[in-house]
Amino acid sequence: MSSVWLPCGKYHQDYAHDQGWWQTPVIKGKMILLLATVFIGIPLLAPEYWVGVGTMVGYTAMGALGVQLLIGYTGLITLGHAAFIAVGAYTSTLLVLQYPWPPFIVRWGLAYPISIMAAGIVAGLWSVLFGLPSAKVKGFYLILTTIAAQFITVDFILTQYVSQIGGRGQAFSLPPGTIKIGPWTIDSEVKIYYVMAVLLTLVVIVMANLLRSRVGRAWVAIRDNDIAAEALGINIVWYKLLAFFVAGFIGGVAGAFWVSNTAALSPEHFPWFWSLWLVGVILIGGVGSIHGAIYGSMFMVVIMELLQLGVIPLAEYYPKLLIDFAYVKDMSFGLAICAFLIYEPNGLAYRWWQIKNYFNLWPFSY
Amino acid sequence: MKNTVFKNLLVPILATALILAFSGLASAKAIKIGGIMDTTGATSDVGKDYAIGMEEAFKYINEKGGVNGKKIKYTWFDYGYRIPEAITKYKLLKRLGALVIMGWGTGDTEALSPTVNKDQIPYVSASYSAHLTNPKKSRYNLFFSSDYSTNARACLTAWFDKKWPKHPDYGKRKPRFACAYMFASPYCSAPIKAIKDQAKLLGFEIGPDQDVSLFALDTKSQIMALKEFKPDVVWHGNTTMSVSATIRDAYALGLGADWIVNNWGFDENLPRLAGEAAEGVMGATPCAFYGQPYKNMDIVVATAKKYHPGIPQEKRLIRTVQAWGDALIVWEALKRADKAGDLSGNGIMVKGFETMKNFDIGLGASPITYTASDHRPTTGCLVQEWKNGKFQEVERVDLKARWPEKWEKEWLGW
Repeated sequence: MSSVWLPCGKYHQDYAHDQGWWQTPVIKGKMILLLATVFIGIPLLAPEYWVGVGTMVGYTAMGALGVQLLIGYTGLITLGHAAFIAVGAYTSTLLVLQYPWPPFIVRWGLAYPISIMAAGIVAGLWSVLFGLPSAKVKGFYLILTTIAAQFITVDFILTQYVSQIGGRGQAFSLPPGTIKIGPWTIDSEVKIYYVMAVLLTLVVIVMANLLRSRVGRAWVAIRDNDIAAEALGINIVWYKLLAFFVAGFIGGVAGAFWVSNTAALSPEHFPWFWSLWLVGVILIGGVGSIHGAIYGSMFMVVIMELLQLGVIPLAEYYPKLLIDFAYVKDMSFGLAICAFLIYEPNGLAYRWWQIKNYFNLWPFSY
Repeated sequence: MKNTVFKNLLVPILATALILAFSGLASAKAIKIGGIMDTTGATSDVGKDYAIGMEEAFKYINEKGGVNGKKIKYTWFDYGYRIPEAITKYKLLKRLGALVIMGWGTGDTEALSPTVNKDQIPYVSASYSAHLTNPKKSRYNLFFSSDYSTNARACLTAWFDKKWPKHPDYGKRKPRFACAYMFASPYCSAPIKAIKDQAKLLGFEIGPDQDVSLFALDTKSQIMALKEFKPDVVWHGNTTMSVSATIRDAYALGLGADWIVNNWGFDENLPRLAGEAAEGVMGATPCAFYGQPYKNMDIVVATAKKYHPGIPQEKRLIRTVQAWGDALIVWEALKRADKAGDLSGNGIMVKGFETMKNFDIGLGASPITYTASDHRPTTGCLVQEWKNGKFQEVERVDLKARWPEKWEKEWLGW
């Protein structure tokens, strides 16, 4: 059933309408407003700092969408997604810094866009490699194989071998002006934000389309009951690996984007905690929903920043508040997960759905 | 009922918040300095004392009238040694209008370096990575101490000068050298290229590197691997906790090699944690240890006692003194830039830091010089040894004096 409430007397007349994204003028208006806020309002009106926070939200959301696809839509629990983000970041950096591109590619500012695609593909294939055990195992055992992905990729391969390329210890540093897309050099907070906004929008479009296609249905079927799905004729190994590929691809794109944000790279940027954090993000946002991943990212990044800003004026009188903020942040992360699991197990996405329903049904409560 | 709760709680909270917000505005004229420290993360074993020292130093500076009468408002955060966190904190400090930022780790300092250069915010960090000393690449990164590569070269040279001639095999074979450090950490791996270059220069045989985590508590497998190579001297590039774990294991397993340690792994806690195994360990010292008799040490000790009387004096570390080193160069640069009437980022750099010639902070550090083309603060490093229950000077190695050509032309920035 479509989740959209149509005005009285209007009905879906065909499948395309039933599956359409923006089904009523109100929804169309809301979405245009949202896009205008994201693409015009925030970058042009918000202070630079908040644009930076917006970039963090987008980056976290991209990472979380990959996790959402695996956990929320295919039921494959992963705790190693930071590894695929790292693979994407390293692929992109190496291609931009080390690969001998023909001069016209560099001149036309194509090296970075190509590297984003390549980062997605390499991370996707790498993810498939670690998705292979999912053909045989699930649940707790799959968690362990994905944790292995983190340790093998980041702590072993990237640290011991890949990051040695370039001969400058472990860290890659991208000189200013290296990241270019066409004629634009990505060198300001607003430009970085735009790269994020475009990439995130594309990722959301691709994912939303995949989910309403045959592939998405197969993933959901596997999540709900893999034996039943297999009985229905779904090749579950193929679809599970496809889920790993797409999740890895999205992670790779997020990693490639991360490079434009930090202009530096070392294995320290991708700790295991980051994988855990992404799972927390989708738990808070709502498992099994695209906008849940985005709400979760907003919650985890913006709330923490607001909390910190609230603490700053008080710190003059209670300096410990500011000093111990990292503790507070970690504690809030744990507390938020516990609180959501107990009081709102379906996450912020469900709460949003309830709010929408309230207005759709008003003045009748049901 | 709800109304009462509103009146009783929300109104006072809002009123307090407003008062606090306005009191913040009242001090808006102060010079704002930001800090990004690690008091809970992987390097908190040394970071905590550094953070406390930094805070005390700025309090003292304000007591002394601040920067030519202008007070300093120092706001700092703990980032738990998480690089993405450091980037957010940097953006926040920039938004708060910090003129100078006191940073911490190598990973985050190097990650932020291009941004810092673009924003022209002097970034004085506790990362002494030599990568940050070439103004052509990282103009706004600074620190007061000899860089890690200089430390590493100096320690190996001091061992070669003082310890190797006393070895029974001296003159019969090449000395054997290996490195132990956390590969993934940019701090630990920063000087490895330089120390291996120095080892080649001095004629060492170089063995395989050992990966020792900053969190390591058991390093027996690395020591067993080293035993196969039988090194005469091993460089350890981590912080105190993992360094002490390693030398303890080496002692227990009878490795028989001497240890030379980077400055963040060599402090008063090393003999406390490693016990007998610490005997004879040599390390780079950027300045005097806490309480050692130097010109300005009384101020450091008195300020520590005044602002943190709860911390026992015997628990204080050289890290506090290092924090003072960085705070004092910032103070001096701000005073000079303010006198020249230019407290912009570029002004602080050109009219402040880059006018320092052999500036002595009075805490046992080598005199500090910055030029527009070279941000290596010193030309050498003091190497000390833990011997007979105290730190003793081994040699003050001046790399520029010994290898002037290489110092000028080759070694800048690596």
